[in-house]
Amino acid sequence: MDEAIAIPPPRGRTILQFLMIGLGLYLALCALAEVLVYRNGHDNPFFKIATADRTHYDWLILGASHAMPLAFDDAEAKIEMAAGVSILNLALQGVGPLYNDVVLERFARDHSASGLVYVVDSFAFRSAQWNEGRLADAELLARTPFDPGVARRLLAESIKGELPPETPLAYVTGFPKINNRGRFSIDLWESASLFDRRYRPSQTAAADRIAYLYPQGAGEPAVLEHYLDVFTGLIERAESAGMRVLVVKLPLPRTFSDRIPGEVDFDAALEDRLAARGLRLLDFSGQLQDARFYFDSDHLGRQGVEAFAAETLVPLLRLADDVTSGAGQASE
Amino acid sequence: MLFNSLTFALFLPVVLAGAAALLPGWRWLWLLAASLVFYGWGQPGNLVFLGGATVWAYLFGLALGHSRSAHVRGWLLASALMGLIGSLAAFKFHDFIRAELPEHWVSAWPTLGIAAPAGYSFYTFAAAAYLIDVYRRVLQAERNAGQFGLFMAWFPKVLVGPIARAKPFLDQTRNALRADPAKMVGALQLVFWGLFKKVVIADNLAPVVDNAFAIAPYAAPLELLIAVYFFAFQIYCDFSGIADMAIGISRLFGIELPVNFRRPYLSRSVSEFWSQRWHITLGRWFRDYLYIPLGGSRAGVGRTYINVMVVFLISGLWHAGLGYGLGWSFLIWGLLNGLYQWGQMGLSTLAAKLAGPRLVPNWVSDLFSMLLTFHLILVSWVFFRATSVGEAVLVLQRIAVAIPDLPSVIRHYPFSGDHVLGVTLIAILMGVETLDEKRPLAHRLIAWPRPWRWGLYYCVLGAIVVVGSWQGARFIYMQF
Repeated sequence: MDEAIAIPPPRGRTILQFLMIGLGLYLALCALAEVLVYRNGHDNPFFKIATADRTHYDWLILGASHAMPLAFDDAEAKIEMAAGVSILNLALQGVGPLYNDVVLERFARDHSASGLVYVVDSFAFRSAQWNEGRLADAELLARTPFDPGVARRLLAESIKGELPPETPLAYVTGFPKINNRGRFSIDLWESASLFDRRYRPSQTAAADRIAYLYPQGAGEPAVLEHYLDVFTGLIERAESAGMRVLVVKLPLPRTFSDRIPGEVDFDAALEDRLAARGLRLLDFSGQLQDARFYFDSDHLGRQGVEAFAAETLVPLLRLADDVTSGAGQASE
Repeated sequence: MLFNSLTFALFLPVVLAGAAALLPGWRWLWLLAASLVFYGWGQPGNLVFLGGATVWAYLFGLALGHSRSAHVRGWLLASALMGLIGSLAAFKFHDFIRAELPEHWVSAWPTLGIAAPAGYSFYTFAAAAYLIDVYRRVLQAERNAGQFGLFMAWFPKVLVGPIARAKPFLDQTRNALRADPAKMVGALQLVFWGLFKKVVIADNLAPVVDNAFAIAPYAAPLELLIAVYFFAFQIYCDFSGIADMAIGISRLFGIELPVNFRRPYLSRSVSEFWSQRWHITLGRWFRDYLYIPLGGSRAGVGRTYINVMVVFLISGLWHAGLGYGLGWSFLIWGLLNGLYQWGQMGLSTLAAKLAGPRLVPNWVSDLFSMLLTFHLILVSWVFFRATSVGEAVLVLQRIAVAIPDLPSVIRHYPFSGDHVLGVTLIAILMGVETLDEKRPLAHRLIAWPRPWRWGLYYCVLGAIVVVGSWQGARFIYMQF
């Protein structure tokens, strides 16, 4: 293969033919990959939006992995029934306010919701890894259905210098979908299968998990400020789309929450931002301290979700719904 | 910048277009600028190392060219080589040796904390060869600093070679650089075949190898055995893939680089493997600048054996730090290959004395020699890949102990998709190489009807796109 052989160079027309056939084959691969995205989609929030069966929801849930168990198995249906509301849970593991803002923008284009429950986790405000990093993550791009609006947003973020130029290019060309090793598997977070497991508290597991989520510890204050700005933008976007916003912290076991670096500072900074907008941080992280409520070091299991829904979430959604309806009636 | 990155996919057409737009006599300047951008991309500090080595070699080259006194020339060469090879050795071994010595011996001895940048081994060796050639009056010192800079920095080869010699390179760039249109198709075939070897074969084998070696004491022996086989092909495809791309890309600009690999796993002896088929430019470097100056094979049988061993031990040291730690295992790897050579030298003398009628057909003995050579090399690769001598011995021990049970284990082993993909890719590679050995594949392709030829091109490109592994994969040999 390495010998330099001399052959007459192909003519321009032949080159063009070769390229056009190649382009056609690539587009066919793209189409096939997009079909697989829809066939095997499950967790990806953009997939959920693209395949949502309603145009209006009472509540939208955004956040990272801690919010995902609220939609595991039949949990979401039970909460919807108990609260008498419709919910679309768009939380995804390891995503911060920037990623969620892109999701919200996409959602608000074709859908509406009366309220937004944002489940905050401080790790997601501490590093670009959970924000720009997740937007550029090829594994997530491989599961994200194509949408011109998302492409525009990624391009805008890239022009601002927040994302590498490869990200919008990868999204538009569909390369991560064509190149996806898991193209034939269902896009399901493997932890969903642990939903019924009862967790055995482990200091080591909690420490490992904290080290993973907070690789730089509390990180730079400037980084936190930046993502709080992004989060404030997200709240503005939600409110301008007519959503009432609830910012909550879900229950966490003490073995985990006591190890979170800089949590007091985070809460204070977040509460300042929320207070400026007339909102409050609803902190339920101290609830449900028994290990049976968790399936791993920091995620609610089935019992945890049921207990949290019954004691807190359902009454909260009902109350907020009533207040919203009341406000609506009063303004009428 | 890496060849398998999107940045490079955008960079290359720009450089090609720029070169095409310029007058042939000025292209070298554009290519020099492009090479500096390539090497400094993301890590501009790398340019300090490259610039330092280039200025050093250029100035010493000029001084060697001007000086007439043999004594002064000897001192000049020794100083120049001390600077180049000494800096390479310091970057590689200073901190390692310091860490190995008792703390109370070295308490006043600071750590450098500097790792050599990507490709440092390659361009210091190229510069050393240039200086020795100037010293030997084989080559005139290059006066044009820019041309010399291009020789050192030429972007297709700066990261992992081939270790090009100055004379043929400068002879090409000194003249008006003009790409030969008749070689374009062949050049592109080489680029994409190299990319296929890297991203489809090497990077799909890598996870299986990494996973097994990461838990060597606990991994199933069959998993370790598979990892050892896969590593042989991973390192070959990783290194030869980038070499093919370097040669192909250079050809697009009208520059011919020396061949670095020639189907090494079809070697019939260890000496053939090292001298004619694997990392050929490094083998020739050691032959011309170390083995022959030591006396080669003309200084008596005993000295020949010693010279061979010296070359392999130094080659082992050169490879140290290749991403798998800086332990003694690279020295064992060199020692093992030196011992293989000794064995071969001894046996060939014996075989010549006992020569009789052939009992088996040529193809059977060839096949046997190939398999034996491959497996000897395979054992040495374990020391190359393991992070310590202990780990390498453990891997070999665990495999050896499990060999009697392998047939039944294989029958019941839950092979994964990665295993099946790996074996399929290796089979494709060896099929292509076997065909290429008999008659170059490029020549075969010309004779094919266009639909078949294009079909093959689309299959290779499709595999690169669909199966290629593109996530953060680096080149093993870049980590020197």
